[in-house]
Amino acid sequence: MTTAPVIGIVGNDVPRQLVLATGAIPHRLFGSWAGPVSDRAASLLGAVDPVAARILTDLLASAAGPAAPAALVVCNDSASHLRLFYVLRLLTAEGLPPVHLLDLPRRDSPAARRFAARRLQAMTLFCTEVTGRVPGPAELGAAAETERRIGVAVSALRDRRRASPPRVTGTAALGALIDALSAPPDEGTARLDAAVSDVDPEAARLHVAGSGQPDPSVYAVIEQAGTVIVSDDVDTGDLAWIGEAADGDLDHVCAALAERHFARDVAAPVSLIAERAAGAERRAGAAAATIALSVRRRGDDGPAWDLTATRAALARSGIRTLDRTITGAADLAGIGDELRALRSGAVAS
Amino acid sequence: MTGGRLPSAAAATQHQREWFQEVRAAAAAGTPIAFLNADAPHEVFRALDIPYVVNQWWASVIAAKRLGPQSLAAVAARGLPDDSQQYDTIALGAQDLPAASAPWGGLPTPRFAVAERSGDVVPRIFELWGQRAGTETFLLSRTAAVPAPERWWEMVADRPDDVFGTDRIDLLAAEIRELVAWLEERTGRTLELDRLAEIMALGNEQASWNRRTRDLIASARPTPIAVTDSMPSVMVPQWHRGSRWAVEAARRLHDEVAERVGAGHAVWRGERRRMMWIGRGLWSDLELYRSFQEDFDAVFVWSMYLAIAADGYARYGDDPIRALASRFVGLTDLLYVPPMSSSWYVKEALGHGVDGVVHLVADDTPGSAFISQALEAHGIPVLEIAANNADSRSTAGARVKERIGEFIRARVPARA
Repeated sequence: MTTAPVIGIVGNDVPRQLVLATGAIPHRLFGSWAGPVSDRAASLLGAVDPVAARILTDLLASAAGPAAPAALVVCNDSASHLRLFYVLRLLTAEGLPPVHLLDLPRRDSPAARRFAARRLQAMTLFCTEVTGRVPGPAELGAAAETERRIGVAVSALRDRRRASPPRVTGTAALGALIDALSAPPDEGTARLDAAVSDVDPEAARLHVAGSGQPDPSVYAVIEQAGTVIVSDDVDTGDLAWIGEAADGDLDHVCAALAERHFARDVAAPVSLIAERAAGAERRAGAAAATIALSVRRRGDDGPAWDLTATRAALARSGIRTLDRTITGAADLAGIGDELRALRSGAVAS
Repeated sequence: MTGGRLPSAAAATQHQREWFQEVRAAAAAGTPIAFLNADAPHEVFRALDIPYVVNQWWASVIAAKRLGPQSLAAVAARGLPDDSQQYDTIALGAQDLPAASAPWGGLPTPRFAVAERSGDVVPRIFELWGQRAGTETFLLSRTAAVPAPERWWEMVADRPDDVFGTDRIDLLAAEIRELVAWLEERTGRTLELDRLAEIMALGNEQASWNRRTRDLIASARPTPIAVTDSMPSVMVPQWHRGSRWAVEAARRLHDEVAERVGAGHAVWRGERRRMMWIGRGLWSDLELYRSFQEDFDAVFVWSMYLAIAADGYARYGDDPIRALASRFVGLTDLLYVPPMSSSWYVKEALGHGVDGVVHLVADDTPGSAFISQALEAHGIPVLEIAANNADSRSTAGARVKERIGEFIRARVPARA
């Protein structure tokens, strides 16, 4: 049992090494595909991705309880997350945990790197105020080692996913990553290493694009339809920023992590259309996907803008794309027939 | 007496028509023009003598011509969504309308499209502008509202670092310098900082006239001009910010308002309910603002356009690029992010003696509930309507007029 303070993370921009070095456990908050959205959360947030509304619903419900995180870090990596931060900032007076925004730009430049490095330092200082532990080189080094172990496990998981035939289903891989992003590091590493599945070698190799996947429920339905998800564009899957670490004192680590932030692929909300399409083509190609499914969640605007370009990019690699706009996994009933038809070339993508 | 259309409103509209045809002629002659989002640093383009058209203004023209649905259909025809941030989108779709039906002859192909990376959709819309033949896109970073102080209007002109944070302003200033270099490379022109400083000074002078005008209207009873007049009288010059014409237009508006106040003009002689409109203008149905006067003696006395022009734009400082960055780094946040937004709307509502508020809530604006709560906490009733201002399909579905009537009847008592 851990007694380290838990810091809730919303979004995919936080280098976990920095949080770990302050003695806290980074615990990603995902929301979910299903579940209630409280009237208050809906009223406070307005029109947002319902997954963000479920995160707020959960936080409001747990505000005074033992399950509440000691503090929150919210990433400015989607309009919904930013709006969630603006709401949470005003609710700290009502007993919700203190909250900090990690605001990393997407447009690379020397000035943006300086800005990003300072934001990472500010986030670290925020975590330090929660834990009371100032991260020196020793703490940063230990956290780097821990995080790199997770990185090795993540890399191995991704290799198993892309193997032919795959040695882990997309559902199991997503579940393991979600667990690893929310568990103490050693538990997370064990969870990743344990994610191994028997996969039907005849299952269609599928790439998933579109909205983020806060839980494996949608993947489970898709894979029950005779497919195996070998790649995706979601920030809890192939794009999860986990296992990243740098060496040196805090200045050096933040500068290095800021540099890597601008080099990584990012998920739908803050990507540009061309980046998104190129990323889908690259990842689906690397995983030898043969068909693709774009799943857009109602209330999540960004992916709708990407679909046409992503479809065209995948088609260049001979990958046909089916698209669906859904509220939750239940809306995918019957997807199996459509995917089989897509696989056989019986329907136009 | 009851005033007719404000001359400055008619003059602004006429000026805009003539100016737009000049832009069309210049583009036809080979002059590069720019298409800018409202929060882009327009002043750079003025200093480089690059004519620019503002996305939101052009969207308002398209919507006023009732071409929003056709424009959105053109967007959908390209496999893109027609129900996502329509106000920012319809100009893109309007480029595909037949020339004969394009408003004002149509927008020429811009050489440059510039916006900030704000939200999930605006960057994509401007990316698509850059994929059109003849247009290149430049996207600036859009940092978030940290800090977000109340009473920002007392600090922002002289101490913007206290309102927005030094790092944020420094980042945008650096990116504006990159934008300048990008434009210089493509046009062969050179930005003169003295010229930019002069443009910033003219913008500040314009803002000072708008402040005086706002203060006059706030204290006048009954209200002397319709919001449908103040919108063009303020916003057309706003899109020409930094020009001598814009300063003169702002001064003319002030003088006309002062004259009307002195002469006792009234938009509606029997004014008994003073209404505030929070949110973007309902460009597809501007007559709506006047349609509650006869039945309810209810007059819309406030819209954000004059008020933000009064409080939000002035920036002083020796470095014109940094001053410009501080103008745009968080301008929209002043309107939408609580507690900056909510405290400001309360200040404005109290200052204008508002009896009721209609709050048009768009999908892309955060913090609406906190704005409404803050006003209600001061005893000012609020009607929230979720609709898109530029999409008549959306406003029709929201039953805007009927709901405002019901709201006034039920919650906004008439003054004695």
